[in-house]
Amino acid sequence: MLARAVMADGGACEAQKRIGRVVMPGEALLLPGHAEADGERLRLAANGPQKGRLVCGPGLRRGGEGLLVTKCGLLRYRGPGSGSGGVYWVDSQQRRYVPVKGDHVIGIVTAKAGDIFKVDVGGSEQASLSYLAFEGATKRNRPNVQVGDLIYGQFIIANKDMEPEMVCIDSSGRANGMGVIGQDGFLFKVSLGLIRKLLAPDCEIIQDLGQLYPFELVLGMNGRIWVKAKTIQQTLIVANVLEACEHMTAEQRKQVVAKVLEN
Amino acid sequence: MAAASGFRTVEPVEYYRRFLKENCRPDGRDLGEFRTTTINIGSITTADGSALVKLGNTTVVCGIKAEFAAPLADSSNKGYIVPNVDLPPLCSSRFRPGPPGEEAQAASQFVADVIENSQVVMKEDLCIVDGKIAWVLYCDIICLDYDGNLLDACMCAFLAALRNVQLPAVTINEETGLAEVNLKEKIPLTIRKEPVATSFILFDTVMIVDPTAEEEDLATGMLTIVTDEEGKLCSVHKPGGSALTGAKLQDCISRATARYKEVKKLIDKVIKSVKPT
Amino acid sequence: MRKRYGEARGWIGAMETEQKKCDSGDLPSLRRIVCEQGLLSRPDGSASWMQGDTSVLAGVYGPSEVKVSKEIYDKATLEVMLRPKVGLPGVYERSREQMIKKTCEAVVLGTLHPRSSITIVLQVITDAGSLLASCLNAACMGLMDAGLPMGSLFCGVTCALDADGNFTLDPTAKQEKEAQTVLTFAIDSIEKKVLMSSMKGTCSVEQLQQCVAASQRAADTIFQFYRDSACRKYSKW
Repeated sequence: MLARAVMADGGACEAQKRIGRVVMPGEALLLPGHAEADGERLRLAANGPQKGRLVCGPGLRRGGEGLLVTKCGLLRYRGPGSGSGGVYWVDSQQRRYVPVKGDHVIGIVTAKAGDIFKVDVGGSEQASLSYLAFEGATKRNRPNVQVGDLIYGQFIIANKDMEPEMVCIDSSGRANGMGVIGQDGFLFKVSLGLIRKLLAPDCEIIQDLGQLYPFELVLGMNGRIWVKAKTIQQTLIVANVLEACEHMTAEQRKQVVAKVLEN
Repeated sequence: MAAASGFRTVEPVEYYRRFLKENCRPDGRDLGEFRTTTINIGSITTADGSALVKLGNTTVVCGIKAEFAAPLADSSNKGYIVPNVDLPPLCSSRFRPGPPGEEAQAASQFVADVIENSQVVMKEDLCIVDGKIAWVLYCDIICLDYDGNLLDACMCAFLAALRNVQLPAVTINEETGLAEVNLKEKIPLTIRKEPVATSFILFDTVMIVDPTAEEEDLATGMLTIVTDEEGKLCSVHKPGGSALTGAKLQDCISRATARYKEVKKLIDKVIKSVKPT
Repeated sequence: MRKRYGEARGWIGAMETEQKKCDSGDLPSLRRIVCEQGLLSRPDGSASWMQGDTSVLAGVYGPSEVKVSKEIYDKATLEVMLRPKVGLPGVYERSREQMIKKTCEAVVLGTLHPRSSITIVLQVITDAGSLLASCLNAACMGLMDAGLPMGSLFCGVTCALDADGNFTLDPTAKQEKEAQTVLTFAIDSIEKKVLMSSMKGTCSVEQLQQCVAASQRAADTIFQFYRDSACRKYSKW
């Protein structure tokens, strides 16, 4: 009902009041400091540098006196932590992936071209992956990667104007779980929102599924999930339950898991 | 000068914006000023009516050919008007040979819509014998030089050519039942309305009349208004682009009615100058 | 085992559709609207839009790979395909495609995805009047579902004027046929300005302004429906 009232106003609304609610493209959000006449510069000077800058996350742009919403979804906010200011972003249910620096994704190798592999990550362009970007790889000791292999890696270059680039090592040169994913197992796609939900630190879905039987799971921020359990049937059950989580409440999911447990 | 042309190449939008700030355009025109319009009629002798229109560099020729056809069963007392806009590779490097592109198809549809909306020629007037035979007017509009504002030029050429049309008298031979054409006796077409188009481009919120091809490429939106002699709107064609308020729309309509008078005067003058011969 | 699982799958499916579908119920001056988002599995965003008996299905792909010949270095290439109910698209469809495309281009922030393509496919399912407006609405819902960045929303509204100058919003096919003038506008959600306008028949300047004002009022109702629909979609999120 509150959403209705805001829409009727048509004007901008304070960002804090909209946290956790649905926002629509074109909506303007006022930031607390900006609502006053003195503007950002004065406020920063008054509060000193201990209050970091406010970050404008996915689905939002800076404009006018505050933020402009560009995507439909739920407005989220994380309060100021050590060194950084608060972050606002829009949590939306999307299917198409757009590469973001630092994201861990599952890609499929589509071609070998000289020193690099071309990897399909589901974005608008294929990512490149150097053969040296694997743990322990040298010019002599090339990694064993074939066309069609699944790669779990991380973006080190991802911006709208350049070809994205992946690596399978962290900053200290360790694989840290990245690299080629084993031969068998099952890969499927879900929405990007579900992946974010599954990757949340205290995700109940993974915990619930863990009660069933042991399985291996790789989650890519690009909406791809790879699962492997002891038998094909068990793998498929895990995959199907994860896929169905998209539209279930916690209550319904628990029922489904209980049903599977019975068998 | 060299610096200016370099600036124009590198930052065309910014270059243009500097001009707009001073309320003028790179070619020296005001924002509301049309390029010189010239009309020449009857230049194609093999057509039943023709006109060549120049709007600055934009050159469009329209030829109207009348042929016999059987009317449709559900509208037995109606003829047809078939407009077609052709943008050959000759007129600009942006067009490729082959089947008509998106822009040519959109322009053809626009001309067809205006004919339908304004009822410029009553289709009943084109009927010769009810249910048997009727005129079909093939209006081929060909662009020879493309420098923006195609729709205005097309509509102007179409209207001038239509006023130039002289249809031969047709009698039906009682014995054979065939149509006989008397080429010596020619009658002009009855024109009910005279729709005139005025195009604008939107540059964010600024309205500019009669754009060149360069201006069209930089623009964020387009608007074409077609009015007739009673000041009625025959078309308000805005295919997307920057948003417009009702008040701005009103300004454009006022400019379009002023333009109507200019074009009407010009066509009348040309028709008159040809008539005496 | 398989049978058991099939059952579970069945009721999950029923729940999905219930959640995705949004029904406006009776609306003042407009026909009833029913919209379902995300009903197709292959496209990145999809929407079915029903306005009275007129129904349009939209599928949106993007930002995805673009043909080199169509690549634009500083923004996304937007394409609209309008498929009629029967037969192949002709000149009429092309001109409508161009209008919808330019309307979307004005709203979608294409500069955020340069060298990529955004494709909107619109399939007409039934045409019972106000088709262009329905196509615009379906396209907007599809774009929203695909999560493409937009500066504002837009909606399509059709007005029909009869010989006496009375106007009807959202006319049926019969009303459109009897009307002297049919006007279709696309209205943006921020300032309610006119993004697109198309017209059939003739009208006076006053009538046009009257229709613009009426469409702007109707747009509020449609935007409210967009919001209700989104709230519903995210209610169980």
